[in-house]
Amino acid sequence: MNLLEMKNVTKHFGGLTAVSNVNFEIEKESITGLIGPNGAGKTTIFNLITGVYKVTEGKITFDGKDITNKEPYIIAEMGITRTFQNIRLFKKLSVYENVLTACQYNANYNLLEAMLYLPRCKNQEKQLKEQAEHLLEIIGLIDRKDFIANNLPYGLQRRLEIARALSLNPKLLLLDEPAAGMNPDETAQLMNLIYDIRKKFNLSILIIDHHMDLVMGICEKIMVLNFGCKLAEGTPIEIQSNPKVIEAYLGVEG
Amino acid sequence: MTQFLQQLINGLSIGSVYALMAVGYSLVYSIMNFSNFAHGGVIMFGAYFGFFYLTLFRLPFTVALLGAAISTSILAIIIERTAYKPLRNRKAPFLYFIICAMGMSIFLENIIIALPFIGPTFRTYPEIFSKTPIKIGSLAIGRLDLLMFIISSICLGLLVYFIDFTKIGKAIQATSYNIKASALMGINTDFIIITVFALGGFFAGIAGVLFGMKYTVYPQIGVITNKSFIAAVFGGLGSLPGAVIGSILLGIIETFTSGYVSSQYRDLIAFVLLIAILVIRPRGLMGKLNEDKA
Amino acid sequence: MDYYIQGILILSGINLMAVLGLSLLTGFTGLFSFGHAGFMAIGGYTAAAMTVKYHIPFIPALLIGAIVASLVSALIGVLTLKLKGDYFCIATLGFGEATRLILDNMQYFGGARGWPGIPAYTNFTNVIIINIIGLILLANLIRSKHGRNMIAVREEELASQISGINVFKYKLISLMISAAYAGIAGGLMAHYMTFLQPKMFALTKSTELTIIVIFGGLGSISGSVLGALVLTSLPEILRAFSNWRLVIYGLAVIIIMITRPEGLMGGYEFTPKSMKKLFFNLKEKRLKKSAGR
Repeated sequence: MNLLEMKNVTKHFGGLTAVSNVNFEIEKESITGLIGPNGAGKTTIFNLITGVYKVTEGKITFDGKDITNKEPYIIAEMGITRTFQNIRLFKKLSVYENVLTACQYNANYNLLEAMLYLPRCKNQEKQLKEQAEHLLEIIGLIDRKDFIANNLPYGLQRRLEIARALSLNPKLLLLDEPAAGMNPDETAQLMNLIYDIRKKFNLSILIIDHHMDLVMGICEKIMVLNFGCKLAEGTPIEIQSNPKVIEAYLGVEG
Repeated sequence: MTQFLQQLINGLSIGSVYALMAVGYSLVYSIMNFSNFAHGGVIMFGAYFGFFYLTLFRLPFTVALLGAAISTSILAIIIERTAYKPLRNRKAPFLYFIICAMGMSIFLENIIIALPFIGPTFRTYPEIFSKTPIKIGSLAIGRLDLLMFIISSICLGLLVYFIDFTKIGKAIQATSYNIKASALMGINTDFIIITVFALGGFFAGIAGVLFGMKYTVYPQIGVITNKSFIAAVFGGLGSLPGAVIGSILLGIIETFTSGYVSSQYRDLIAFVLLIAILVIRPRGLMGKLNEDKA
Repeated sequence: MDYYIQGILILSGINLMAVLGLSLLTGFTGLFSFGHAGFMAIGGYTAAAMTVKYHIPFIPALLIGAIVASLVSALIGVLTLKLKGDYFCIATLGFGEATRLILDNMQYFGGARGWPGIPAYTNFTNVIIINIIGLILLANLIRSKHGRNMIAVREEELASQISGINVFKYKLISLMISAAYAGIAGGLMAHYMTFLQPKMFALTKSTELTIIVIFGGLGSISGSVLGALVLTSLPEILRAFSNWRLVIYGLAVIIIMITRPEGLMGGYEFTPKSMKKLFFNLKEKRLKKSAGR
């Protein structure tokens, strides 16, 4: 069964059509790539899936449930989390606090229990703290847990954003240009990390990136967008030899 | 019918003065995207400047009026330079601007109370224009009301001319669309901001004098000017035509409330209107819609 | 204790209660309100009505005042918290002034002339106890997941959303709790002054509360406590200069915003742990210094 299905999804901004009639599926526990030239509507698709933008037409289902136009926090609770192209961390909080905050989903004590610091709150808080430290260990940030997020080097900020997304035990993780601004060495590390978290968390991953070696290297399936429409879909090898894709990226010859 | 027309005229007159004040809020908002609460303080200073120019220096009315306008214009520029420029340089979040503006308005209001030679006393402008109204049939139009309407209309007309037909005015428009892009296109945005404050301050001075003549001068007069802020929100913050239309409407609504319901509800209706407009149509009658981008 | 000092401390305590609530809203959730005097007024008038007209004991009356203030804030919040930018701020300003003007016209509560003869139930002991309870509840809240969620909302709304945080809900909760605190403060004030007048809850009062929070430092409870103590008692002690008090307030706000927007405490707290750390750091510095010599 497919984890995520987009059926005839369209998004207009005023007179502009950013995404037009896109059909797309993501299989369970797969790594899928989303590529296309700048302005093709890739990030808009992320925003539609996570509920940041409202869909104009069409339907998105996740795990068999309709999530079209649901509030972002509900979609997050259902198991879709993401990172942002222009990193959005809780900048003034520490690395540890960033992850601990996102772990909130795993505790269910109420406001009154919190204000009175009742046993349930106490116990769950202890669990949250362990969970946050565990996550930081996996992602390799435990030795910098008291750093202020904004002061981390760029590559580590991206890592932290992934760690924060993982705090919610997602079934689907959307990575928006995770390798942007990274050198080949860092990109290779990132690839390992992505493999790693898929294995450890049993989740599906959808990646937008312009680093073709990364996308071609780790994705099992790739969708190509151009001017808001789906141009092609297939395995990395199929995509690399698809004339339409080559045309969109390199322009028509002659 | 007569009463209806009478109220309408009064409403237009007071509304036109609100408009003079409201354009100051809107001009600043259109460029800098924050509500400049210090504007009320500037208007109050205008009323005092006019009062002292008339009584202490015994200047003729037109000279006092212009003098007050120029003085508040300078005051507004000083406020911008001392309070907002440092924040702009630091690219501080807009809430800091609002708080700073609040601080400035508290400062302006209370410095007047604290200064020993001014103090909290109410002061009445000397009677410059005769109190006998002009009679047209059964309608009685106060000379002062007429004057307020005429002066305000002239000022607003000049403002429209300035914004639409001069080079600086066009630069102001461009800056209000996109301040960063305008700076890249070679517009000196710092100068534009000064101009906007100077313009707002100038009209604030005139409005302050007119208001002072109509009522009295006292330090809390800025509270009344809050209503012109409401008018600006009502019309749509950042929109000049919106500010004018919102002000005229508010003026009319107010006079009708005090005429037909009770004068005690006159102030209340303004604030209720403010909340209502925020709930029903937060961008106001003519405000622009900002869409957030992720 | 000296009667005079006690009076100042009671006033500080009353202010502190309102400031604590506002600190949650402004310092920890990032929402500015220029209408908290309105919530104080609602709490004060309700509590006074309970004790004077219905002869309900003091503490339950205070709580009823807090609940009513909180419910009204919920109404305002549901209507305006979805607005972007400074519109919420403007809405609270409108609410505060509207509340005052409505009370001006309510003859049942004495209208603009005021309402004398409220029993003097507020005393030094109950103000201190109520403040300590308020402080503990607030500190617990802020250290819990709910408090962290509010801080997340302050830091970055979109990131909060995709971390599964219902931004609107947490803004609303924060507003309701802060209004309840303001309501209690209003009730305490009513039964200390034994007199209520709408004028006491003008815009100046709201801005004064915001100033105290900013002065103490956004996102610091200890800062708010310090701010309330200093900024309430100083002008009382310097009565002779009372005219200059608000002038200095205004100037202080501008200077703080320009030079040190994080306020006195800059987000730090006085806790045994942080004190130890500070002490340790100082010692280390001294050791380094002596080693350098």
